[in-house]
Amino acid sequence: MAKVVPTRSEVLFLFRSLLRTARQFSDYNIREYTKRRTIDGFRQNRTLSDPDSIASAFSHGKAQLEIAKRQAVVYSLYAPKVKSIMDLKPCNSI
Amino acid sequence: MEMAMATAMARSALVKKYLRVGVGVDSSPFNFNAIRCRFFSEEVRTSFKSEVTDRVISVVKNFQKVDPSKVTPNANFQNDLGLDSLDSVEIVMALEEEFGFEIPDKEADKINSINLAVDFIASHPQAK
Repeated sequence: MAKVVPTRSEVLFLFRSLLRTARQFSDYNIREYTKRRTIDGFRQNRTLSDPDSIASAFSHGKAQLEIAKRQAVVYSLYAPKVKSIMDLKPCNSI
Repeated sequence: MEMAMATAMARSALVKKYLRVGVGVDSSPFNFNAIRCRFFSEEVRTSFKSEVTDRVISVVKNFQKVDPSKVTPNANFQNDLGLDSLDSVEIVMALEEEFGFEIPDKEADKINSINLAVDFIASHPQAK
């Protein structure tokens, strides 16, 4: 299968889509992890010059975007009632 | 009879004196209130823009790779602040979160300086 080297704007579009998807997670840890992982991954691969490795990194990113989108939906179905422990009302006051 | 008539006339003269409405005192279109109203709306508009500028600058200053002392209202992300295209995307995303609306990709690609960001956000009806 011949791999297509993505253009600069396609790469930026993938980057932006991943960041937008990361914002949809309801859990703070997952939201922040997805964002951090996206930024780190793109930083790490920014010096790639070999067309083959660029294309494979890009297709890996696209696959990750699909996963992130799917998981955002799945997690939203099973979201806990309390988003954060800070929302809990104090039980019987001491 | 005459007496009663005189009293009535005197009364109506008294009433007219109080009921008379002055005409032509405040009818000038350039009175003080009109001018003040115009200045007021002008002030609101510019203060919203300066508020947007302040908030954009504070968002950019909080971005970890930026040297806060270099951030000025005219700074260009790539030339003045030394950011690359990935950083610009991150800053635009941070601005979206700050102002609570989504910037379309086409517009987001064009924003590469603080001036452009302020102009776009201040002209956007959904920005808060």
